Amino acid sequence: MTPTSAVASQRRGTRPPLRFTPGGLTFTVLALFLAVVWLIPLVWAVITSLKPESETTAVPVRWLPLEPTFAAYETVIARGDLQQWLLNSTVIATVVTALTLVTCVLAAYAFSKIPFPGRSWLFALFIAGILVPPQVLIIPLFDQMTFLGLIDTYTGIALPQVVAPIMIIILKRFFDAIPRDYEEAARLDGAGHLRILVNVVLPMSTPILAAVGIFTFVQAWNNFLWPFISATDPNLMTVPVGLGTVQGSYGILYAQNMAAAVLGALPLIVVFLLFQRQVVRGVTDAGLK
Amino acid sequence: MTAHADPAAPRKPRSGSPGAHTPETPRALPTRLRDSLTGLGFVAPFTLLFAAFLLWPMLAALWSSFTDRSLARSDSSFVGLANWQQLAGDPAVWQSLWVTVLFTLLSTPPLVVIALVMALLTNRVSGLGWFLRFSFFAPFLLPVAVVTLIWQWMYQPGFGLINAALARVGLSEVAWLTNENTVLLSVVITTVWWTVGFNFLLYLAALQGIPRQVHEAAALDGAGAWRRLFGITLPLLRRTTALVVMLQMVASLKLFDQAYLLTDGTGGPNYAARPIIGYIVDSGFTEMNIGYASAVSYLFFAVIIVAAIIQYRLFSRPGVES
Amino acid sequence: MRARQTHTPTRAPRIGRRGFLTAGIAAAGLGLAGCGSGAATSSGRARLRQWNLFTGGDGARLMEMHEAFREEHPEIQLEDTTFMWGDPFYTKFVMGAAGGRAFDIATVHLSRLRGLGTGTLISPVPRDLLAEHGITEDTVPTTVWDKCLVDGELYAIPLDTHLVVTYYNRRICERAGVLEGDGTLVETNGEEELIDLLTEVKEATGQYGIVMETTGAWRQFWSLYRQLGGEMTFDGELVIDDDKALRCLDFLRRVSEEGLAPRASDAPGTPANFQNEIAGLMFGGNWELPTLRDAGMDFGMRPFPAVFGDPLGQGDSHAFVLPYRRTPDREAENAAVAYAAWMLRNSLTWAGGGHTPAYLPVTGSEDYQELEPQAGYREAAENVQFDPQAWFSGSAAQLQSDANSVFQAVHTGATTPEVALDRFKSAAQRLIDTPPPV
Repeated sequence: MTPTSAVASQRRGTRPPLRFTPGGLTFTVLALFLAVVWLIPLVWAVITSLKPESETTAVPVRWLPLEPTFAAYETVIARGDLQQWLLNSTVIATVVTALTLVTCVLAAYAFSKIPFPGRSWLFALFIAGILVPPQVLIIPLFDQMTFLGLIDTYTGIALPQVVAPIMIIILKRFFDAIPRDYEEAARLDGAGHLRILVNVVLPMSTPILAAVGIFTFVQAWNNFLWPFISATDPNLMTVPVGLGTVQGSYGILYAQNMAAAVLGALPLIVVFLLFQRQVVRGVTDAGLK
Repeated sequence: MTAHADPAAPRKPRSGSPGAHTPETPRALPTRLRDSLTGLGFVAPFTLLFAAFLLWPMLAALWSSFTDRSLARSDSSFVGLANWQQLAGDPAVWQSLWVTVLFTLLSTPPLVVIALVMALLTNRVSGLGWFLRFSFFAPFLLPVAVVTLIWQWMYQPGFGLINAALARVGLSEVAWLTNENTVLLSVVITTVWWTVGFNFLLYLAALQGIPRQVHEAAALDGAGAWRRLFGITLPLLRRTTALVVMLQMVASLKLFDQAYLLTDGTGGPNYAARPIIGYIVDSGFTEMNIGYASAVSYLFFAVIIVAAIIQYRLFSRPGVES
Repeated sequence: MRARQTHTPTRAPRIGRRGFLTAGIAAAGLGLAGCGSGAATSSGRARLRQWNLFTGGDGARLMEMHEAFREEHPEIQLEDTTFMWGDPFYTKFVMGAAGGRAFDIATVHLSRLRGLGTGTLISPVPRDLLAEHGITEDTVPTTVWDKCLVDGELYAIPLDTHLVVTYYNRRICERAGVLEGDGTLVETNGEEELIDLLTEVKEATGQYGIVMETTGAWRQFWSLYRQLGGEMTFDGELVIDDDKALRCLDFLRRVSEEGLAPRASDAPGTPANFQNEIAGLMFGGNWELPTLRDAGMDFGMRPFPAVFGDPLGQGDSHAFVLPYRRTPDREAENAAVAYAAWMLRNSLTWAGGGHTPAYLPVTGSEDYQELEPQAGYREAAENVQFDPQAWFSGSAAQLQSDANSVFQAVHTGATTPEVALDRFKSAAQRLIDTPPPV
């Protein structure tokens, strides 16, 4: 919004318009100020990453690099472990998302549409499971994974993250809202539940599936505590664990740290820029329910 | 996921008419049986994972909490209530629990209020929606280690951005992460910056659900902007606020990642920023005492349950729900 | 329950039940199975994953040595990982060793060895293999070698010893008139002589005589306590000589109260204070040497002064250990032992960081004898005072951190030595009452 439009709208009528008031300008300035404050750390990280190492700790602090350079990025990329961690994060987040979708959709469908013995009992058990924070389980899970020999394997890192009963509830609520007529028509045609699920229910559920999928992916990508405990081999670490625990032997080098931070942040930021609407919906839908 | 109807699929009924599907007919039983089997089959994969990675560990931890199980010993024995007695008399448990509670008390109000302000502004201002959504929400998408790398750098004494800014305006430097009295506050500030975007989105979604006409009608009645905000908007957001506060409190009680990384795994000077989960990790993996750490885990679980009950009591009172 | 089913390295792998369970879980993971990290790489070279806790000067030296090792041993693919010093490293160490496949060799503090699960998390070192590479009992100081033995088994390969020493700023000390003709610091004997020295240096700087890490006062305390011949044991209850402990704490009180040392100075602040010349002397670990040298200071080093007896200093030793391994891997073990032996034989580079090599042929060499200022404290290093023995004792372990947080209050003047001693005793007793994890 520009001052001109505010003036123009004031001239237009007697009724106080909702958007273009002088007060609106104040709000715009306030919003911009807040947005800039929120962006400063990110911008500062990018700027630092483009400085030569000697400039980073110079006092007084300078905003722009005197001699901008990609040297820090080159060093980080040449070291190679960040690429490995990005790969691990991608593999683990993808597997967790796929398994969550498959197991939760199947279970939610059963709870919603199929009468079977023990249904309400099992559903109550899963609801109770929501109350158990994953943080409570790290000690026994580590013990269990040690026993099974799954520490420092993709399997051991990924599987415990799949158990998110809340997703069943979200999906079940959505499936419950699908009118029975659709599936009954399909049943009359002799379709089994799997066919109904795949051909009737799922096509109607793409928004909620996307929401659950995106939410799960973001959570798994950024999960720290369990991967921190179950991945000790640097070759199997995810981005947050690797960046958080592995040190450079030469001490703290800020330009390199910031270059690594920028590269580690990039994938989800790019995804967000490309699919902003879907990500926002995913987070609000799965978060709100 | 491709989900098109298969035209080649057989359409004819197998045998008997659909009308025959009544409990009296012999066909009914196989259908019910088939349904039961299908249902059980559908829930089986999740149930298996649930049992293996939630139920079993819960029970195993309960058992461990009565043993002296250690990562560095091959055998363990039943020690009765020893771990629980030790827990009750262990000042580190209560100190770390207090850190968690204090963090929750300090972080929840700004995380709710700032998110609300951001959402109100974004909803009000036109033409900047994309930019504002990006600025406020992007930090939430950063992996925690990225956040802490950036903020450790910002908090640096001497050449860190924040202290440089303080010095510029003539204030004295703050030893953000190395002073016992400021380290938890630093964790709070970083957390607000990092996660406020999530609450912001929840509020924004709720605001956009309020029909414009409600405001327009009120404006016609001569209600000023502040009156509209406090008289209409905020009451309409009450349910969302309850939800945001609830989610935020639970999230804050689970503090660990950013506190651990900002303090380089030390918990800060005198453990001033080591939350209860940090103590679980320390006693379980640094001191290798699985039995004791299991007992502390259950204490934390109890805290979460108590918080859930309190919230349920607070927010399910009549009037709030409507 | 599986209370009795943990890993012991000596036991044959139990494929039966565990393998079956693993297969079941892996099947549930829909083909996610496998994915461990194999020891041998596709190129056929033996992979050697080394974990350490060295940053700064030590880290740079380690990298230099690793580069040289890689050049000499193209058949070994050395992958090193540095974790943050202290608890974060030991947390990762415990988790990685319990998992049994994360690394092939790691550095630890020798004082921590017994608390880290020898026999369960740490495997014994094959002595004959080590001897083939030239490292035996005879090539390492006996005091250090003995620290590597648990129940007669060798569990560690010591790389160095390191200890708290005295640094002196030549320029300031010359001005204060406390240098000998050859430019070394005058030797003091007893508390009063040291106080006199500090007073003279204080007059020269106008601020303080000496800086020491007040947030790490255990090092000073244990050095002084050992000079008095004090013992400390933890068998069921704490045995400590109160009179001797009080004399040591009173010394800490005195230097701060009389303004000879700052009341507060933390780990990064102490060498910075010394560099900024607010004092002419510093008590500090010998590992500060490279930092100060890089800063271009003109300084010398001497043993921790003889305050109550011989000039003994608290210290420790960095040592290599082999982790428990889920699946035995001879090739990786051979590479690990070869690597450790190579590091010992080439530890002259390591000595550049101020540490005293544990490998006697190196310390006996002319090259080492000529190193300055290492020569100034070489003798004290031979008699380094290890921390008292307990699972909760040692570098970065709980006893040290409890002691540090209690004793710093003596420096600041917040508590008296008597109160501090009481607090230390109850903290130690609480650790004793904690069921040991090993």
